[in-house]
Amino acid sequence: MIEHEIAELLPFYANGTLDAADRARVEAELETCGTCAAELQELQTLAAALRARADDAPPLPEHLLVDALTRITPRPRASASAQRGPWWGTPARYATAAVLVVSVGAAAVAAYRTHEAEVTRESQVAVAGHAQEATRATVFRVQQAPRSAKVAQNADAAAPAPQSVAKQHRLAKTARIEVLVRDVESALARAQATVRSMGGDVTALNDSSPRDAGSVHTAALTVEVPADRLDGALDALAALGAVQTRAIDAEDVDATIVDEEARLRNLQHEEADLRALMDKGGKVGEILTVQQNLSDVRGQIEELQAQHVHDLHRVATSTIAITLSEDRPNGAPAKPGASARIDGAWRSGVSALADTFLAFVTAFVWCVAFAPVPLAAGAVAYAVLRTYRMFGSSASRSPSPR
Amino acid sequence: MSEADDRVLLERIAGRDRVAFESFFRLHGAAVHRFVRDLVRDDGLAEELTSDVMVEVWRSAARFGGRSRARTWVFGIAHHKAIDALRKRRATLVPLDALLDAATDLEGPEAAALRADDRRHLDAALGALSAEHRAVLELTYVEGFSQKEIAEIVDCPVATVKTRAFYAKQRLREALGTVERPG
Repeated sequence: MIEHEIAELLPFYANGTLDAADRARVEAELETCGTCAAELQELQTLAAALRARADDAPPLPEHLLVDALTRITPRPRASASAQRGPWWGTPARYATAAVLVVSVGAAAVAAYRTHEAEVTRESQVAVAGHAQEATRATVFRVQQAPRSAKVAQNADAAAPAPQSVAKQHRLAKTARIEVLVRDVESALARAQATVRSMGGDVTALNDSSPRDAGSVHTAALTVEVPADRLDGALDALAALGAVQTRAIDAEDVDATIVDEEARLRNLQHEEADLRALMDKGGKVGEILTVQQNLSDVRGQIEELQAQHVHDLHRVATSTIAITLSEDRPNGAPAKPGASARIDGAWRSGVSALADTFLAFVTAFVWCVAFAPVPLAAGAVAYAVLRTYRMFGSSASRSPSPR
Repeated sequence: MSEADDRVLLERIAGRDRVAFESFFRLHGAAVHRFVRDLVRDDGLAEELTSDVMVEVWRSAARFGGRSRARTWVFGIAHHKAIDALRKRRATLVPLDALLDAATDLEGPEAAALRADDRRHLDAALGALSAEHRAVLELTYVEGFSQKEIAEIVDCPVATVKTRAFYAKQRLREALGTVERPG
């Protein structure tokens, strides 16, 4: 008869999880107790049989992973409800692209409307205040554009050569340019025309006319141009006036895009497998489950494709943030006020007085400096006169002895 | 796959990493599926439960405190879900006739090993046990957990696990019709 306590430890002795103390107890017992040894042997046989049975268990059905992955995906119901038609092939892809284009277009339209409203409001303010003309009376200041950003840009342009050999680097580029222009309105029109001529488009526009004489007219617009025409577009925009800032940022989105593509491929395989399952047929319940999974996988594919299209779009087109500001030295008011004019008159009066005083002093100094000349001349003249008189009197006296 | 890897995976799952989840699923899904399948003895329900367990892992990975092994934690979830499902079903899962048939086929003690190898008999015999006994047998001999870990998984004192492990084996032997070997 086995001691109960030992019998309870035997299963865990058999599976090798006992701690050292318990193991020692069991081993001591096993040496003396034949029943214990037999019991252990039986346990080991059972354990082997159970493990063999486990090894032969049917494999984990593959759809369980798909099912779990689907269940952990947060699902935006809007896109799923939009997709109720055929879930195979390219139509869904076109739909995704169309949604993207429409949303970008809607954003641009909204931005343009905002701009129109703002410009209208601003110009009303300007007309009421008769400030419009004042802001136009500006002096065009010629200024050398800072070109330091161009260096970085050139380095960037030179880099892709070795990279294209080693590894493809897809860059999403964004640029920023600030230009001082004589007339913001005409520069804005020219900037938009330039961008459109390069196959780009304006995605946001904010034009704020000056509210008072002290502020300058500025316009900010965001445009998208084909990535390969970014440099050309920047050069054309730089030609609008004096460049204050010009910078390009590049983000490497290659890893993201590669990852998206891999995930898309996996999902597409899953989709193909599910479709094969569905083609096999089966019970209604099973078909419904497969169909639900299929629909969920389709939803994931579309979500990922939309993101993928967006990232590819970021690589294909570059965004430029343009700021156009009216060029006016130090932003000083163009027309001085009355106090400024009195102040100016006083300043010029004082200045004229000082100048006059200075002229007198200068004249005096000149006089002092040149004084020896007339003095010497006077002395010579005096000496000549005295000599003449002396000779003159003796000559007149000489006939007197007659 | 080490315990450290499991912990890294769970951390990444807590950070909503789907790739980590997929890896975790591929590592433990089969064992979880086998375990719940043996407990509930219903293929459809087992699949449902496996999916439930893994989704629960995704949801509560952040709450895995690391006090126990990741594997113990997952089996704890699996056991809880399986027992819960059985309770809801109130199913009498033991086809007694099949069990009796299996038992009458058995002959001498020397055939014990053979009989154990006979998958059909073993299945029938396991079916005769309670879910708790099947769970403890599975966890001890197939998954190789310690008494303490099993206590954690099935949520009961270690003493209960010891008793259960002992009686589960007795019941299985009875079901297999094995007589005690001479000592």
